[in-house]
Amino acid sequence: MREKATTIYLGPQHPGITGNMMVRLKVIGDTIVSAQTEVGYLHRAFEKLQERRNWLQGFTLMCRFCVPESDPMENVYARSVEAIDGREVPERGKYIRVMVLELARIATQLMWYAGQNGSLGLYTMGQWSIGDRDYILDLFEELTGGRVYHMYQWPGGVRRDLPEGFTDKVLRTLDYLEKRLKDYDDLMFANSIFQKRTQGVGIVPKENIIEHGVVGPVLRGAGIRSDIRIDEPYEVYDKLDFEIPTQEGSDIWARALVRRAEVHQSIRIIRQVIDQMPSGEYFNKFPNPLKWIVPAGDAYVRVESGRGEVGFYAVSDGTIHPRRMHLRGAAYVHAITLLESILPGQNIADVSAIMNSLGTCAPEIER
Amino acid sequence: MKEIKDKMIAQIKAVFPEAVNKDYDGNRLDLTVNKEAVPSVLLYLKDSMGFRHLSHIAYVDWIEQGEFELVYILWSPLDKVKLYVHTRINRENPVIENIDMIWRQANTYEREIREMLGIEFTGLVAPDEFILEDWDDIPPFRKDFDTLEYVNRTFWHRPGREDAQDVRSTISERSGEEIPDFAKKYSR
Repeated sequence: MREKATTIYLGPQHPGITGNMMVRLKVIGDTIVSAQTEVGYLHRAFEKLQERRNWLQGFTLMCRFCVPESDPMENVYARSVEAIDGREVPERGKYIRVMVLELARIATQLMWYAGQNGSLGLYTMGQWSIGDRDYILDLFEELTGGRVYHMYQWPGGVRRDLPEGFTDKVLRTLDYLEKRLKDYDDLMFANSIFQKRTQGVGIVPKENIIEHGVVGPVLRGAGIRSDIRIDEPYEVYDKLDFEIPTQEGSDIWARALVRRAEVHQSIRIIRQVIDQMPSGEYFNKFPNPLKWIVPAGDAYVRVESGRGEVGFYAVSDGTIHPRRMHLRGAAYVHAITLLESILPGQNIADVSAIMNSLGTCAPEIER
Repeated sequence: MKEIKDKMIAQIKAVFPEAVNKDYDGNRLDLTVNKEAVPSVLLYLKDSMGFRHLSHIAYVDWIEQGEFELVYILWSPLDKVKLYVHTRINRENPVIENIDMIWRQANTYEREIREMLGIEFTGLVAPDEFILEDWDDIPPFRKDFDTLEYVNRTFWHRPGREDAQDVRSTISERSGEEIPDFAKKYSR
């Protein structure tokens, strides 16, 4: 007798999903036979709103695309405007930007530690890493005034210089985190539940990687050494020494190892940045924002976020308003076509873990 | 970088003589092609020239010229060249070939563009609705879509706020404080 498939709706409100989106699953028993992503719960039309605003007003909107990761969005917005306008950033501004981006990467990965383990029912890890993430948010609060949305990197540099004694605080936090990462290894990577639930689960077939436009830790978890910080260096990444960790498994476990190694690399990068930090200006003035006309042109710039490539396409028609702003997030590619293609055959209990491991972020898909 | 890009242009021009190129500093290269040529150009770039990664498909409404623009942004991991393929589509009859058989993720972009700009992709197989639900107006990312007018027509004031009172003047009446000079021009 043929078994009948049942339709199950996962989401839009679901503790295992970052943001509001729904996956419509057809299951036979516990096994998924087909999946379809449905979005439409979060569209805020930031890109449309931006068309009525001037070039400076944009940067307060652009950081809000994805909640756990606001700094890469600020960075691409600022750099796309700089690329069209031909605006230079002072060396110190670039170093501060790299420091902020790497701190943001650590914060994102700590949030991912929580989500990945939470989706498997291992909640202790989440409470630890979210607690430790708060130390980084404290640093952001001191530097920018905001904990989650910073509105700190703007065209021409950054908004404020580093406060007195800030780099010492950063170094102390990094020392603390490095000690904590050992505890994380014991609790998470040495845990046989975590190993059994992630090894061989959520495999992204290597032959489909190019067709699906896979980026970031998912790509590196499949053994491909690709990172925008190396491929197309921006800010001062070409002056820094760091490694691009890769793994071969292409499953949740491999991607987890990649992210774990990335936290260590980020710590290494921030130490170098603080070591090499030049003195001088941190920001080149731009014209009166109410009259600031950016010359006609377009630019697409990319940044390596904690979840993969984030790109931004900006078009100016030579007025005080942008013609078009268009963001490309990692989740836009991963959470729809790729997710739908790898879910069939998986167990229904693994869906949340797979989504987390692909770096799903619903607000970034709809913008 | 300059030699690599020149060689690429020569190779593209040999196969697609009608393509127009524009050179920029750094690793950027621009190409403008007819909309009919888009699938064949993209397939050639991917399979024969190393542009394996489709980074983005951007869309712009150039209402003054009566055209939509699509920009396919490709990345060559070996040569480290970023290629922008521009194409223009007439606003009156916006139809273009679907390319999701070349890169699967283009399917998502095309669903969004179909909904937000109203461009039809021939051969696109995807559910009708993507982000918008029961939308019956013109596609919202067209420049002639008036957000303010739509909001006034579609939504209504909360009970007690029908008069659309000015918040600044209400607060100043209640508290007795004057509205500062710089804010007066925004108050009714």
